[in-house]
Amino acid sequence: MARLLGPLLVSPALIVILLLFMVPLAASVIGAFEVEGTVGLGNFTKAYDFYRQDIVFTAVIVGLSTMLTGLLAIAIGGYLTLGENAAAVAILRWLYRWPMFIPFIVVGQILRTFLAKSGLFNSTLVALGFLDPLTATSYLDWRGVVVAFVWKQTPFVALMVAGAMASLDRGTIEAARNLGASRLRILIEIVVPQVTTTLLVGLVLSFVTMMGVLSVPLMINAQAPTMITADIAFRLSTYRDYGVANALGLISLAISAVAAWFYLRVNMRQSR
Amino acid sequence: MRGVFAQLCNTEMMPYDAYLTLRSLDAGYGRTRVLEGVDLSIGKGEFVALLGASGCGKTTLLRTIAGFALPSAGSICVGDRDLTRLPPDKRGMAMVFQSYALWPHMTAARNIGYGLRLKGWRREAIAARVAEMEALLGLEGLGGRKPSELSGGQRQRVALGRALAVDPDILLLDEPLSNLDARIRLTVRHEIRALQQRLGITTIHVTHDREEAMVMADRIVILNKGRIAQLGTPQAIYTRPASAFVAAFMGAENVVQLNATCSANRVDIAEGPHNRAASLTLGLPAPRSGRLEARFRSEQLQLSRLGDEATDDTSCVELIGRVEAVVYPGGQWRHTVRIGKGSVLVDAAEALPPGSDVLVRVPTSGLFLFAAPADTPSGPPSAADGPSPVRDRLTA
Repeated sequence: MARLLGPLLVSPALIVILLLFMVPLAASVIGAFEVEGTVGLGNFTKAYDFYRQDIVFTAVIVGLSTMLTGLLAIAIGGYLTLGENAAAVAILRWLYRWPMFIPFIVVGQILRTFLAKSGLFNSTLVALGFLDPLTATSYLDWRGVVVAFVWKQTPFVALMVAGAMASLDRGTIEAARNLGASRLRILIEIVVPQVTTTLLVGLVLSFVTMMGVLSVPLMINAQAPTMITADIAFRLSTYRDYGVANALGLISLAISAVAAWFYLRVNMRQSR
Repeated sequence: MRGVFAQLCNTEMMPYDAYLTLRSLDAGYGRTRVLEGVDLSIGKGEFVALLGASGCGKTTLLRTIAGFALPSAGSICVGDRDLTRLPPDKRGMAMVFQSYALWPHMTAARNIGYGLRLKGWRREAIAARVAEMEALLGLEGLGGRKPSELSGGQRQRVALGRALAVDPDILLLDEPLSNLDARIRLTVRHEIRALQQRLGITTIHVTHDREEAMVMADRIVILNKGRIAQLGTPQAIYTRPASAFVAAFMGAENVVQLNATCSANRVDIAEGPHNRAASLTLGLPAPRSGRLEARFRSEQLQLSRLGDEATDDTSCVELIGRVEAVVYPGGQWRHTVRIGKGSVLVDAAEALPPGSDVLVRVPTSGLFLFAAPADTPSGPPSAADGPSPVRDRLTA
């Protein structure tokens, strides 16, 4: 009886995962290889022919955003850990988390008005005399997407990284200061190497999150090239083409898998 | 480059020729004042231990000297250079942290050589210096290991090597032995002391371990509540504690209250319910007449059955009590003797059974007399400040 109780208790969760996650995933994977009733790579060749540029665009945009997110998170975490101006540290600590609570679609909305040709960003530059109104351009292209991603994901990674930095042995920082290391060197040579694992976890999670965002490319960058998510939505809503949509989904999964593989590799090397 | 070995010639310098000078130093965190009016001068090549219970301000004092905490008043000078407001790396001091604070992502050799890399040394020069440090500290062959692959003692030596590699004027040690297990600690004590003597480097060592301070330091600074309670050689502090606190901290945990009339260095002790009359001549000035607090260690006492004592001896304090318990910690039998409301620990070669009425003789050489604090008519006044086997026994 007791031997049956365990599996019985787990079964509701297991069934939910099977029905709502594993089955649709398997259906999508199978669907990606289904071409008019037979198994083949037709959906992939079609996806490659039509969306090759978007696939590269997605990988580059998300990769770049991840890198910038990492740099900003290190800068924020570093200032929170090493900053000597108590008031500035307190203000930053209070301020930096806000974007985390704003949904992607709202981020897209905000940046649309901010980065447009006659948006707040350009009009501020014009008012300050840094920009001629005639040469003002819209930033609502790949740059807008990167800004949106970085703005939204930095607080999340910074939160993780700052937590890891705060739990370091302060002695390791003071020992470096004692020997004459500048704060920047302490950050790069002493602090960051000790929080690499946490940083990578945060960045991989951010990478995967950004790979799946639809609202931002739709609102900021609706022209070509755009992101895979927008293509999937387009394939489904306009053509009801599940095959190519599934193939594109598998391709983004493969790109995410590269990030996960990279993380695992670094993690294994660290623990060795 | 001024090698560490070049400093060997400095070992013979006068120990009290002030090199590091602290003047009326105040420090604290926020509104809490941790140090108050600390004056201290340390000679070149001297080994000074800052000794005190936890919370007495010894680590704060070390961190203030190192530059990790800024004093709210007072000054810190080395020679005629005022360092009070200088950042930690401009003070010519290197610190060994309690946790060692080795960088886990760097090998032992990179840890040791990091300070030199910061100074912009060439790679070969760094390698040579690191090899010199490894040889000095017995770390040969371990340079390629990460701190997690080293034992506690080896980590401690890497931390020491990292501090010494930059050839500091002053070495600061923050409880460097507290993370080692007891047996290794005993040998490392002597290793650090021997190294310090060889290099002739001025050293300040923070510890809460009395014996460690005694065997390592040229002079001991006893801190109590942010002030210097006493400063002197280990022997002077041990044999002539300046206050009841210092006496208790240096192991004179037994305490009884006596009434006495004092003049110059003579003390006439009146007979009391638990002590006989005595006339003592002290080697140092006597406290003022009235109620006295007498402190003594459990060693070098005479314990005999009441009535069995050989002769009357009025040149020592004779206390009358009853044995409550006897244990054998090794060497001698340790008796807990109840005297009035309190009890004392007495070591003796032969065990007397519990219940025996006994006479405890305290010779003048091991007796420390202080004016009794007015508000505590019985019991050790500073017992709460230091470790006390008597108190532990009574509250157990």
